[in-house]
Amino acid sequence: MKRVFFIAFNEVKLYLQDKGDLAFSLLLPIVTFALIYGAFGGQTLFEATAYVVDEDEGAYSSIFLEQLEAVEGVDVELITTSQADTKLERSDVLLVLHIPDGFSEALTSGERTQLVFRQRGNAGQEGQIVANIIRGVAEEMNQEFQVHRQVSDSLQGKGIPEDRIEVVVQEFLDKERRQPVVGVVEETLGGSPDFVNQFLPGIVTMYVLFAIAMAARVIVEERRKGTLERLLTTRLSVGQLFLGKFFASVSRGFVQTLILLGLSYAVFQIFTPLSFLESLVIALIFAGAASAVGLIIASIARSEDGATWIAVVFSVITFMIGGTFFEIAEGTGLYTISRFSINSYANDAFNVIIAQGGSLADVGPELGILAGVMVVGLVVSRLIFRVVPGGK
Amino acid sequence: MAEEFLVVKDLHKSFNEFKAVNGVSFSIGKGEIFGLLGPNGAGKTTTIRMLATVLKADSGEITIGGHSVRRDAESVRNIIGVCPQDLALYEDLSALDNMVFFGRMAGMNGKEAKEQAMTNLKMMGLVDRAKGKVAKFSGGMKRRINLAIALMGNPRLLFLDEPTVGIDPQSRNNIYETIEDLRDKGMSVLYTTHYMEEADRLCKRVAIMDGGQIIALDTPYKLKGEIGSPEQVTLEDVFLKLTGRSLRD
Ligand SMILES: Nc1ncnc2c1ncn2[C@@H]1O[C@H](COP(=O)(O)OP(=O)(O)O)[C@@H](O)[C@H]1O
Ligand SMILES: [Mg+2]
Repeated sequence: MKRVFFIAFNEVKLYLQDKGDLAFSLLLPIVTFALIYGAFGGQTLFEATAYVVDEDEGAYSSIFLEQLEAVEGVDVELITTSQADTKLERSDVLLVLHIPDGFSEALTSGERTQLVFRQRGNAGQEGQIVANIIRGVAEEMNQEFQVHRQVSDSLQGKGIPEDRIEVVVQEFLDKERRQPVVGVVEETLGGSPDFVNQFLPGIVTMYVLFAIAMAARVIVEERRKGTLERLLTTRLSVGQLFLGKFFASVSRGFVQTLILLGLSYAVFQIFTPLSFLESLVIALIFAGAASAVGLIIASIARSEDGATWIAVVFSVITFMIGGTFFEIAEGTGLYTISRFSINSYANDAFNVIIAQGGSLADVGPELGILAGVMVVGLVVSRLIFRVVPGGK
Repeated sequence: MAEEFLVVKDLHKSFNEFKAVNGVSFSIGKGEIFGLLGPNGAGKTTTIRMLATVLKADSGEITIGGHSVRRDAESVRNIIGVCPQDLALYEDLSALDNMVFFGRMAGMNGKEAKEQAMTNLKMMGLVDRAKGKVAKFSGGMKRRINLAIALMGNPRLLFLDEPTVGIDPQSRNNIYETIEDLRDKGMSVLYTTHYMEEADRLCKRVAIMDGGQIIALDTPYKLKGEIGSPEQVTLEDVFLKLTGRSLRD
């Protein structure tokens, strides 16, 4: 059994020597991930820009803008009146906030004042959300003013210095903001059924399958180099050789999956610690099934190019019919066809765990089929494998 | 004759309809270097593959060190070393890593494998290149590593399939001396080659093979004596006389 380990270890060592291979299998998952993030990352959170014309440029308008900027997901961009006109005209922007001249002055002298929204039509969805956020900030400011005023009014003539009142009220307001009487907390129930959940499994499975099927090439190459034959004149048995290659291939596929899933966990927070571990179990079993397929390819291919082509054709067909990038409705003909792709079982299993919040117990049949493919693949590849082509 | 270490009886192997090995019988004594000579395509490599357990014979009996290849391949693998015709090395690894890896495959532990690797590298004059990547080696150095690997695990029977093809006289001489040294320590050797002077120098007996069959088998001296005065004719003359002058590929 030790020899199995050495075969796998040697394989990993060779693989670390080949910079191209290493880059392909480790960097590509990261690049793939960056692409998913670029495509779908922004949509996981609301982000908007509030366009503001600040005609006042006084103490209170800057406090107001500071508070607006502090709201999560809102960016403040200051523009001039003429820029605002052009942008609104071209519909580049659907909503602009005007802080009128004299805004701070009015507030200081205790008068009423107004903020002005200039908008096209109903200002669009984003505009409406931004407008509401601005109203919220204005409301807060309003209440703070009233508290200030009422406290100063009722304490007037009692010999308490004005600035002392100011400080105490401000402390009270700050405390209230940190620990509001009516607070709002968020409670997340499983991952959100968004793009990442939908595409990540497909990308992971496609990736593992592709890379592992390519690993078939390594065995064919070893046959050509003569080291395969040489190995089998030592005490190493064909079975041990196969297991060694199998484990090397599984760990290769698994490491790639680990990178993709780990990054997704860190960036998109689509996992809980448990669902992450469960996904890794699925990845491991899937890597096993795919590796066994890789061994079959290695056993039938006559040349490295042959192995590559079989692997590419197999992978493409498998992830095309496996529903990698689109959902296949149950009961359709396409669904029946998809059952012939090992990807579909891995995709389903990942979906249950990641998007539907299920557990490993819910994906028993899928995992069983993948494990079955692995065992059958190992046996079949061993049966058709020939050390010397043409030999019996 | 000395105690027989390898016995081959009536070996046959066909690829599809083509008879690559067609009724080969011979034996090799303990501590004997036995030459298997023949033009390209004669069936030498196919014979070695069957002896080395990687190719199943269609029929015939092979016994090595008392173990039947058919029934007990595992025991046979424990006592043989194979130096294949084509280099069989991991070019991306160092010489030492190659040797240690194959040493472990031959059943040695890490320490033993490392020690023997260094001993063999010394014997092959490659100690100072132990850590060098094989890909950077010259043809002669690769050949010597190829042989050094075959010696890992101290085999008692060594198969050398054209071990000196395309290398410089120094490397070649180093290989001859190594083989003679090992023979003196009791190792049996099956040696195939195209170079007749080589066979004349090293081999106690030679078999000349053509078309899958052995067409002559004796000491080089006696074979030469059959076509003239052994002092005047060469083994090459014998070879050409027996196998004809037509070109092979
Ligand atoms: N795996 C194989 N499949 C088909 N034919 C083969 C195979 N191996 C060898 N042969 C054929 O058998 C014959 C003997 O080959 P080989 O034993 O390599 O000869 P030698 O080593 O004496 O040059 C050649 O004609 C070769 O083409
Ligand atoms: Mg040959």
